[in-house]
Amino acid sequence: MPEVLQRYEAEIWQAIGETFAMVGMSILAAIIVGLPVGTLLFLCRKGNLLENRVVFSILNLLVNTIRSFPFLLLVVFLIPFTRFIIGTAIGTAAATVPLSIIAIAHYSRLVEQSLLDVPRGVIEAAKAMGASVVEVVFKFLFVEARSGLVLGLTTSIISFISYSTIMGVVGGGGIGDFAIRYGYQQFMTDLMIYMIIIMVILVQCIQFIGTTVARVIDKR
Amino acid sequence: MIQIHDISKRFADYEAIKAVDIEVNEGEIYGIIGASGAGKSTLLRLMNLLEVPDCGEVVVDGKNLMAMKPKQLREARKSMGMIFQHFNLVANLTVYDNVEVCLQLANYPKHQRRERVMECLRFVGLAHLEKQYPQSLSGGQKQRVAIARALANEPKVLLCDEPTSSLDPHTTAEILAVLEEINRTLGVTIVIVSHEMEVIQSICHRVSVMADGSVYKTIDLEPQGIPDVDHTPEYFIEKLTGEVSGDA
Ligand SMILES: Nc1ncnc2c1ncn2[C@@H]1O[C@H](COP(=O)(O)OP(=O)(O)O)[C@@H](O)[C@H]1O
Ligand SMILES: [Mg+2]
Repeated sequence: MPEVLQRYEAEIWQAIGETFAMVGMSILAAIIVGLPVGTLLFLCRKGNLLENRVVFSILNLLVNTIRSFPFLLLVVFLIPFTRFIIGTAIGTAAATVPLSIIAIAHYSRLVEQSLLDVPRGVIEAAKAMGASVVEVVFKFLFVEARSGLVLGLTTSIISFISYSTIMGVVGGGGIGDFAIRYGYQQFMTDLMIYMIIIMVILVQCIQFIGTTVARVIDKR
Repeated sequence: MIQIHDISKRFADYEAIKAVDIEVNEGEIYGIIGASGAGKSTLLRLMNLLEVPDCGEVVVDGKNLMAMKPKQLREARKSMGMIFQHFNLVANLTVYDNVEVCLQLANYPKHQRRERVMECLRFVGLAHLEKQYPQSLSGGQKQRVAIARALANEPKVLLCDEPTSSLDPHTTAEILAVLEEINRTLGVTIVIVSHEMEVIQSICHRVSVMADGSVYKTIDLEPQGIPDVDHTPEYFIEKLTGEVSGDA
């Protein structure tokens, strides 16, 4: 192992751990909140099962607004909210708040798009069989859209990694922050390059897993 | 079995169904024929309230569907099967699972589900394909799976929207034979929407002729039976050249 990596091994492991924590929380938020919000966006759309202009417009506006914020500004803008939730606006835990918010907005849009790809006829058939809205969602929509949902999540996770790299501004740490503080600001270019390589490998692995899973579960 | 009384339906400012009255008797095969855009599909979809009429009454098996709460309506739909021109199977589920979904929705006893699914698949002649996905099936096979799915919960009524319109003549004949058998052996009341004369003439007991959202006339028919379609090379050559090919 190169000498510089050995010298900073403990810090590097810590940075990797922070990145995993931040991205992991983002993934959780995306699945637990983003998936239902995206599904609701789909269902409330004109001509769909729960058609509701008010709910659709509100969710749509919210998702668009969050996504159109430059991420750094969103982080700053959310500081009071973060402090309210976590008790502090600084550190890895605090960094997960803005990351989770953008994760929800990001993934919910991709969920909505995946569901829009499900043929209307399948939903018709489900309704004709007496399925309730919840049954249509779980037994038909999610089943038929599952590979799109996985690919969307893959794309989202890679964006979360990218977003997490700038969380250094609020002391969030992570690989990106480490690369900037040690590699860039202290002129250890080789260290910076090693960090970039770690990120590239991470992204490649995630994309590979996502694409493979999506292909295997796609029977269409 | 199905009474449609003075039903109208408009889409925006287009009157798709204009004060239609029809009555489908228990145990018959009822046809609805008409040109494209006549309102046939809309009329069929009114029968299980997939389309809600602006006024009028829909009574199925003695029950007024329009007076039902959502939950009651869902229950009523479970005793009405429906099949479609484009089959509408769940592509990510196997043949077996596609049929089983219907039983899950109907809360069919768990330990009897496998037996019932296989019974339905045997009925349509596809038991051997239970583990396949729809993507690997022919059009006729997909429609058979859709029929098995529609039959699984032992419906009293089967609604068919252009069930053979994307199939070739040979497969059409096969599917019609299955529908005729369902009607004859299981006593299921069938409504078939089609724009094809042969489909209506071969198995329907009565037919309503539709145009512009109205029923022009309802006619009693003598089902003429399903034509033999045998697409041998000799058949094509004879049709195309007028020559009866010898046994070369
Ligand atoms: N959901 C809908 N919104 C607007 N117009 C519709 C809708 N469904 C059907 N129509 C219109 O109603 C008319 C009848 O349609 P349909 O019942 O599908 O006819 P058919 O099945 O006889 O071809 C058509 O002109 C069609 O464009
Ligand atoms: Mg039609």
